[in-house]
Amino acid sequence: MKNFSLMRISIWVYLALFFSYLLGPLVIMSVTAFNSPGFPRAAPWECLTFEWFSALFQDERILNGIKNSILVGVGTVTLSVSMGLAGALMLTQIWPKLRATYYTIIIAPILIPGVVIGISTLVFWDRVNRMFGLDADSFLSNGLFLTIIGQSTFIASYCMLVLVARLQRYDTGLTEAALDLGATHAQAFRKVLLPFMRPAIASAAVLAFLASFENYNTTTFTFGEYPTLTIELAQKVRYGITPAISALAFIIVLLTVFAALFNEAHIRRKELVAAARKSATVEELGSGNFRLPGFLSSNTAAVVLVVVAMMTIAVVGSATVYSPQQCIADVKEQKRMETEVRIQELRQRRADEAARRAAEQADQAEQEPAVEAAPKPSNNSGFGGVFAPGALQDDGADASEEEPEKPGNDSGFGSVFDPNALQSE
Amino acid sequence: MPQFLKEYFNRNGIGLGSVMLGLVLFWTVGLIIMPQLSMLDFSFRPNLPPPEIGGPKDLYTLENYKYLIFGPEGGSQDYNAVDLRVFYRTLIAAVLVTIFNLMLCYPIAYYLAQTKGNHIRVLALMLIIPYWINEILRAFALRIIFGETGILNNVLVGMGVFDTPFDFIRNDIALYAGLGYAYILLMIFPIYNVIESLDRNQIEAARDMGASWPRIHWRVVIPYAKPGISSGCTMVFMLSAGALAAPQILGGPSSLWFTQLIYQQFNDNSDWPQGAAYAVVLLVTCILLVLALMRLFKVNMGDIGK
Repeated sequence: MKNFSLMRISIWVYLALFFSYLLGPLVIMSVTAFNSPGFPRAAPWECLTFEWFSALFQDERILNGIKNSILVGVGTVTLSVSMGLAGALMLTQIWPKLRATYYTIIIAPILIPGVVIGISTLVFWDRVNRMFGLDADSFLSNGLFLTIIGQSTFIASYCMLVLVARLQRYDTGLTEAALDLGATHAQAFRKVLLPFMRPAIASAAVLAFLASFENYNTTTFTFGEYPTLTIELAQKVRYGITPAISALAFIIVLLTVFAALFNEAHIRRKELVAAARKSATVEELGSGNFRLPGFLSSNTAAVVLVVVAMMTIAVVGSATVYSPQQCIADVKEQKRMETEVRIQELRQRRADEAARRAAEQADQAEQEPAVEAAPKPSNNSGFGGVFAPGALQDDGADASEEEPEKPGNDSGFGSVFDPNALQSE
Repeated sequence: MPQFLKEYFNRNGIGLGSVMLGLVLFWTVGLIIMPQLSMLDFSFRPNLPPPEIGGPKDLYTLENYKYLIFGPEGGSQDYNAVDLRVFYRTLIAAVLVTIFNLMLCYPIAYYLAQTKGNHIRVLALMLIIPYWINEILRAFALRIIFGETGILNNVLVGMGVFDTPFDFIRNDIALYAGLGYAYILLMIFPIYNVIESLDRNQIEAARDMGASWPRIHWRVVIPYAKPGISSGCTMVFMLSAGALAAPQILGGPSSLWFTQLIYQQFNDNSDWPQGAAYAVVLLVTCILLVLALMRLFKVNMGDIGK
């Protein structure tokens, strides 16, 4: 028994570690969206701010990227769901000897690296373009077209897998019955098969859209004039990161959580309704007024959903009235003071050193201490001037007075100020 | 018209049948087979300016593959040490990431599949949510954590583990963590699917016979879950060897991933044939490695993707 409880504990510890690896980064990233320093960080906490959200919504490139992503997404969903459906239907009908080969071919794009798919799409359509003797800016080398084609190559395989799973439970007798009763093939397809496949088609479409939205490897070769949101994000992240990206991530995380909770609540509610229907008496069912369970009753997901929604509304509401200017000014002032103290120390140390050196070399060169001493009084007048020798020492990092913790100088000053920053917490 | 085509159109009708056939042919031939062949063909051609393509200079050559192995012609070294090392390192690292993911995910998949209860749904939900966050943003989140002034360094320095911040990015720790992080779900789901169908009585029987937990896993669960494990490993290996976003964001400045070389050939050097040759090498090597491992562990191709 003791052994058993030990195992339980270790399982829970393992689960906790695993999920903190999985969710911790997202939580920390979300937190950085509300912290005021220009470099995304969760600690030290400075000021609660919403400015990164407004910075995000003023960013032309991000907005343009979202627009392109939606365009590409719609095209990819249409193309890959229809190709996936056709592929799945074909799988049930194809000549048995060919089936294994055919399955390997349509499943292969999942395993081919996205980079390879992007390159092959680019190369192939470039060649087709040239074969037709079209210009370099024709329809076939258009970024939108290439991206949709490239993404659909492998997203259709995902769709096919989802659709095949549902198609396996389809009774082909239904189609035959419809045909016997005089329906045309198109009618039998539209009125019998399609309604049966609808749930799978819906989930395939959602899957396809999300896969298209977050794709980077393929799109990075094909996007041309239509950078999607993911491409824009990657370029921003590679050339300097700001908390505005965290803000975007926070919005996406929130939307995902909403969607997941909503889906969960919906499923749970269906189960509850089914259970209530089962336990209701015949009279209640007949009269149609049996008691349906409330949306929130014994539905944890729905409760959480409502709580999250309220919290979001509260945060957005407070964001419109809250101004962090005072706090930011305070922190700036505090940092300035800290910097000054540090510089004073530095100068003291340097003065000591200079004095010692001067004492050692007093007989060698008499004008040297004079030279070193001369610039110092002039430094006292301007704060930035005092800073200059320090900045020069730290491999010329461009440290300005206001932002001593800019990411650019993490080589020198980041570490110098780190312990200090921790103290202030 | 051949017999099977006639049958096919009888079964599906002319209109619907040709739409279906058209879509499938477009997908398999136009999107999958032709582009790959075209890339293969392209990789054997010299890098020419557009007007000269198809001209007398456009002959097949092994130049692009020679470049990967021997480096630029007349170079000082016998072998293209830089690119080959990147290639080798990418493969080794992808294998390590796969093994790390397998060890991390097997217990979770087993736990999720063999435990009943409401909290399992919550855990599954928590697994799926990070997967729908953009790949770039996930890498970005790890970069915030592993940065020089990131939270991990703050904690470690604060606890006195290190005196100065440790550079996780330059040491590639951030990269490996990011790659492992990105593909956790692809490892868990196939294993979960297989273990879920394992009859619990088999485990109980083994336990009644006196087998210890490690032995039960080794002799009962793992042999049963082999198709799931191999399909998870295949996907994680292929995806991490072909990853581009994580190495670009989390990789150290001096260390490259092989896909980054391909990217450079295409975008910075605009040497498309060279890039295509590198892509072919990557694809073929990965497929051969996967096939060899599947032969070694006696798994069939048909089990993949289930």
